[in-house]
Amino acid sequence: MSKEVIEQVVTYLTPNVPIVPISQGAEAFVFTTNVHPYNASACKTAGDIPVKYIIKYRPPKKYRHPSIDKTLTKHRTLSESRILAKLSQVPGLHVPKLIACDVYNGCIWIEFIGEDLPESHGFSNLKNFLWMYKTDPYNIAVEKVLFKVGEQIGLLHWNDYCHGDLTTSNLVLHQENGDWSPYLIDFGLGSASTLVEDKGVDLYVLERAIISTHSKFADKYNEWILMGFKSVYENEGKKGQQKLKDVIKRFEEVRLRGRKRSMLG
Amino acid sequence: MPYESIPQFDTRGVCVSLFRDVKNIEELRSKVGTMPFAVIDASCVCCREQLFSAVYKALIEWKYNRLRTKALHSECILSLSPTSNIGEAFRRFGIKEGTRNIICLAVVGKNETQTSELFDVVDGEEVELSDENLGSMFDLEMIKKVCWPLKVFQ
Amino acid sequence: MVNLNSVPPKNGQCYLALGLEGSANKLGVGIIKHPFLSKHENSDLSHYCEMEILSNIRDTYVTPPGEGFLPRDTARHHRNWVVRLVRRALQEANVSDPSQLDTICFTKGPGMGAPLHSVVILARTLSIMWDVPLVGVNHCVGHIEMGREITKAENPVVLYVSGGNTQVIAYSENCYRIFGETLDIAIGNCLDRFARTLKIPNEPSPGFNIEQLAKKSLNKQDLVELPYTVKGMDLSMSGILGYVDSLAKDLFNKNTKNKILFDPKTGEQLVTVEDICYSLQENLFAMLVEITERAMAHVNSNQVLIVGGVGCNVRLQEMMATMCRDRSNGQVHATDERFCIDNGVMIAQAGLLQFRMGNVVKDLSETVVTQKFRTDEVYVAWRE
Repeated sequence: MSKEVIEQVVTYLTPNVPIVPISQGAEAFVFTTNVHPYNASACKTAGDIPVKYIIKYRPPKKYRHPSIDKTLTKHRTLSESRILAKLSQVPGLHVPKLIACDVYNGCIWIEFIGEDLPESHGFSNLKNFLWMYKTDPYNIAVEKVLFKVGEQIGLLHWNDYCHGDLTTSNLVLHQENGDWSPYLIDFGLGSASTLVEDKGVDLYVLERAIISTHSKFADKYNEWILMGFKSVYENEGKKGQQKLKDVIKRFEEVRLRGRKRSMLG
Repeated sequence: MPYESIPQFDTRGVCVSLFRDVKNIEELRSKVGTMPFAVIDASCVCCREQLFSAVYKALIEWKYNRLRTKALHSECILSLSPTSNIGEAFRRFGIKEGTRNIICLAVVGKNETQTSELFDVVDGEEVELSDENLGSMFDLEMIKKVCWPLKVFQ
Repeated sequence: MVNLNSVPPKNGQCYLALGLEGSANKLGVGIIKHPFLSKHENSDLSHYCEMEILSNIRDTYVTPPGEGFLPRDTARHHRNWVVRLVRRALQEANVSDPSQLDTICFTKGPGMGAPLHSVVILARTLSIMWDVPLVGVNHCVGHIEMGREITKAENPVVLYVSGGNTQVIAYSENCYRIFGETLDIAIGNCLDRFARTLKIPNEPSPGFNIEQLAKKSLNKQDLVELPYTVKGMDLSMSGILGYVDSLAKDLFNKNTKNKILFDPKTGEQLVTVEDICYSLQENLFAMLVEITERAMAHVNSNQVLIVGGVGCNVRLQEMMATMCRDRSNGQVHATDERFCIDNGVMIAQAGLLQFRMGNVVKDLSETVVTQKFRTDEVYVAWRE
């Protein structure tokens, strides 16, 4: 991870906010911290485990003109925050809570979701979870989780939002009363969209992700996810049925053409 | 005096107090704008998180010279509002006729000493600014009205 | 491991290939030589063929300022010149007996139908005349293989930017997979059409002239704000073109109502044509670099290869280099105008690789050219 960027973040956050880098994407760096940005009392209330927060930082990109960079950083930080804020109000949909956002520096603070899986299977995202069950791939626990994953995506789409980058690492499992409950994270490419195309692509991207990481059991896995997805729409009566038909039809079309349109030279 | 710090802004601190049954609301209302602190109607604030997230937001805007109101203290009130309408924010979150409980909030430099008598002008019973106390004072109907576009309250 | 020597060369020592390219307004003929080396028998060295360029001849159909090239006229240009170019290429390469050639490679697509046709007809004729097998090549794959051979980049993310294409490509499992691409017009097309609006010369190329104008901008701090249209991994450019076109028209018509171009009070002109060119380039290239960076993060690569006509643009190369510097061990590979712009050598290179894997045209019915031919439809046998 680029040292320079970390220095930038440390200067910006001041030494009062110690950070631990956890990942670097093309657009953003992700850190964890134990310090709440403004509500000091929130850090103390979590019993023995220190509460963690995620800081997502979009560093300035030197290759582009400063004025383009500023507008983009601001726009994207704001739009990601907005989506998170809106989605956290959808009943039943699980997304991490937005805590703070500084659009001028491209920084957002989010609630930390997830934990470490038992027996050093890594962080509790869907990818590692499925790997953990690779010796018992059709366990009822897996089916339950994947069904819930489908429900989450169904809820997202039913409310006319799209994720834009659905991969197995962007689904994080959080334990609630002994049950795993999937959370959608990273809405960096997310958008509010009523287009069936966007929804179809979302489903296709996740299907591809499942196939590429767990190809042997992918058919069953994708079937479970789709079952969950459909259940959300089917609960919405006739209108839901119609919309579901449209989305699934488009999903199959997208799958046929492999996401990409045929293009003229 | 209760004093809160915002980790990212280490040169600043927040003095904040909650007053119950304030008797000189009219006097305070006439002085709004001249007092060195923000006066907020406690019936619009349900918890500390809500209050401090607004302070944090105002501080960010202040740091980058993007204040939309005249001063940091008024910006704190505006930041409580889900809209960017300044007049409406003051009407809703500022003190008004019938206000009984208030929150006084001042953002001060770390080493400023005059803070102890800062809120002396308020004639009311000072109580701890805790989620519990705030929870007993706030008006759910009011919050619903303010945040009407948000799905969750429909 | 891949065996690039599965088909031995005619003369036992080296492969000779003739490449014919004419998918757009450039007509290119190139002859290359690959030595027959034992190290290619069992390795993954398709980017290290030790290619030697014997000749690389190109003729561009140039239209007057303000005009684009039409398929019919372009095809006529190609028909008129292609025989002469092949003669010159053979002469320069010192190939006295063309039947020595191991293969004749032609562009199968994508491109404009009529120009592609006029070139493939010659390719078929030569193949029958000299009894040399044909290989049909995907134009985009030609660019990629050429770039790899010249720069020796082993497994780069490829940014392919030209008049007809804008794609970010990465190799995976015998296929050049497209990670992101334009949803409407290509970047070169966008620049060409803007050049037409500005009525600047098409010589040597519209994009080059825009680049020169952009360099002359005196107001580089204040960018004219343009739409920034990256959509996930893809991008869209027709909106930007429409917008800069309208700006340029307002500028030429002295439409003082336009507050971006003219001071609303004094009517003073605030923005020049040069400024618009500069802003357009900055904006478009930022979008390209962004999707390239995304693809790099996706496939965990630290090399970028820029190919295609727009790849000659120095500012684009500069921006790409800046992006790479911020990634660990990032490297940018770009070629100069000899290889960036469409040419015959690249078709010969990709075609020869295909030939060496034993993939040749068996019947002339396989030589039908096609306007639509996606990069990911090609089975890349010569790579692991």
